[in-house]
Amino acid sequence: MTKLSKGGMDRRQFLSTTAAAALLASVSMPKIAFGAEKTVKIGFLAPLTGEVAAWGKPGLDGCHIWADWINADGGVKVGDEMLKVEFVPYDDEYDPSKARAGAVKLIKEEDVKFIMMLGGDPWPGASQVAEREEMLVSTLLPSDLTPDTEMLLAPCEVHPIYNVTGVEWLAENKPDLKTAVICAQDDALGKPSVATYLAAFEAAGIEVLDEPIFFDPATTDFAPIMSKMLALKPDIICLDTCYADYVHPLTEQAFQQGYKGQMISCTADFYQKMVEKTSKEFMEGFIFQFPDFDDPKLNEPHVNFKKPNDFYQEYLKRYGAGEWSAVSWEYASIMDLWADAATKAGTTEPTDVLAAMKEGGVGKHAFGEADWWGEKLFGINNALVGLWPVVAIQDGKAKIQDFKSIPDWWDQHSDLLIKHMKALGQMYYQRT
Amino acid sequence: MTAELFLQTVVNATYAASYMALIAVGFVLIFGVMGVINFAHGELYMAGAYTVVALYADMGFPFFLAVVVGLIFVGCLGLVMEVGLFRPLRDNPLGGLIASIGFLLILQTVAMMGFGVRMENVPPSTQDKIVFLDGAVLTYQRLYVILAAVGLLSALWIFLRKSKFGWSLRACAQDREAAVLQGISINQTARIAMFIGAGLAGVAGALTAPLVSPTPFMGHSVIVTAFIIIIVGGIGSLEGAVLVAILYGFVHTFVTTMYDGTLANIVGLLLMLAVLIVKPTGLFGAKERA
Repeated sequence: MTKLSKGGMDRRQFLSTTAAAALLASVSMPKIAFGAEKTVKIGFLAPLTGEVAAWGKPGLDGCHIWADWINADGGVKVGDEMLKVEFVPYDDEYDPSKARAGAVKLIKEEDVKFIMMLGGDPWPGASQVAEREEMLVSTLLPSDLTPDTEMLLAPCEVHPIYNVTGVEWLAENKPDLKTAVICAQDDALGKPSVATYLAAFEAAGIEVLDEPIFFDPATTDFAPIMSKMLALKPDIICLDTCYADYVHPLTEQAFQQGYKGQMISCTADFYQKMVEKTSKEFMEGFIFQFPDFDDPKLNEPHVNFKKPNDFYQEYLKRYGAGEWSAVSWEYASIMDLWADAATKAGTTEPTDVLAAMKEGGVGKHAFGEADWWGEKLFGINNALVGLWPVVAIQDGKAKIQDFKSIPDWWDQHSDLLIKHMKALGQMYYQRT
Repeated sequence: MTAELFLQTVVNATYAASYMALIAVGFVLIFGVMGVINFAHGELYMAGAYTVVALYADMGFPFFLAVVVGLIFVGCLGLVMEVGLFRPLRDNPLGGLIASIGFLLILQTVAMMGFGVRMENVPPSTQDKIVFLDGAVLTYQRLYVILAAVGLLSALWIFLRKSKFGWSLRACAQDREAAVLQGISINQTARIAMFIGAGLAGVAGALTAPLVSPTPFMGHSVIVTAFIIIIVGGIGSLEGAVLVAILYGFVHTFVTTMYDGTLANIVGLLLMLAVLIVKPTGLFGAKERA
């Protein structure tokens, strides 16, 4: 008799126990053994660590809520099947070479059907792989779009074009503000945003007092930059699309150096921390473009994002009150569009989903009905553009002031935007 | 440039020079005594900042207690590096450098696992500030960094010049073999150098935590500047590191204010290039070693 272990079971006992365990497992887990759920994998290729992680990681967190809710309802209906959704994250660290490696892994090894990216600097790394494999990819930055990027969509965030709405609202509601200064980090996010703010200020009749200040992304001490801006005595300080790591110290510096005027920024992620470090009075009226999703105005009928207030509460419950950022809802809203398109197409194949998504030239953007747009600016109509909220901090809390139409602004001032984009080398045919 | 902007720029430059001096002097002390380029020095600075995040911002201990703990904790991290990494690799010129890169990654990962990748919010210990006649502003939080730099670096200078341990450190920096022949313990001097060098980086990180919003990657940027400072100052020269930190802080801040930060970085690198061409050992390289 063969003993498997000293004082333990013999071979016959071992075999019978193993067989019983296997039978029990097959009976107790019928779904796994006899009817495994079908799953579609979605790639999440964005910075999850590093300086830009604030625009990747919170989006993945939001996607987990989206997937849990969809999967709890049975999944996404595709043809005759209900497909559960699984996100496969890959940290590109905002690095093109890592984005390329991530794209290869997600497509070749994970067999994902759609990839969501932040875009910007990493996109060139992933673009060749995505194009070769005909993979549908989304970016939050339509400045990645060119006539050649047919499989790349900007279905949620029309960065930086929506920044015009903040300036337009400011000009309408605070007409006494006549001068501005702008600073931004010198990179693929900062430059097109500066061009947009320059156009928006010019359209609003607000004078920009000096050349925009482009600072090195490695900057750690923002006191000299703020000193330089304050020396011009502006009515408005514009922080462009600075990363949260820059918006916070710049705002603190403005406070510490005694500034009392208007501030405007594309984002104010984790603004509660800025309120803590400065004061409610100083932050009152700070304009930016990204609402908290507990805002009652998001329940207006034109808003397509599903259950925004519940989504926000769930997000805070899972990840904490201070973790909500500009992108927490964005990737989830892109998934709404993708799921609708996959259902309409009856397949998850990227080219079919793309066609279904762009059918009729219109789409259900998170904030309302929108057009597939962008040919004049990006060389391709792959950006979904419609309404965008203008947000201001009031009594320490972000509140939507209004929804403004980007296409309406564009119809009146497209020449200004193209002029400033050209001047900064940001038109699609100027970008390398 | 108006008088107000000029004075504000002087204030900004004094702060920049102070915190860079704290970091660069620790860096150069470790290299001078041990012959090791400690690539993890920026992460020691980060560890000091996270000590304040944990003790002051999260647990509510007094700010200055957290700063003192930061100094001691990071100094002890330096001791761990000396005993665990640098001592076994003392005869391998590249070994210490590679080991420090590995330790850098470990510290970053520990910070990421412990605190996450987001930037941390450290409230200032005070909102008080000094407003000069021309309107220039110096916050107390920045003043603390300036005072710490003056106080700690003066104390270090006295320690090196007047104490027995200081003499042994300088002897090891000048000629390690001769120091050993005089009965000086290399292990003991290495421990002292690592504790002081790491502690200075730690206190810089701790004091600046409310000013910079700590992240696990905050060490990257300071290490590059520290390299420029010690190369221009003369590798191994404490006086050189202090003087060049002041020079670099003023040049960089004024160029940033008058032109832009990218040009300021270029000027810093050109400064380094010019010194290397004219005096390859650095401004204080050969004669004024620690």
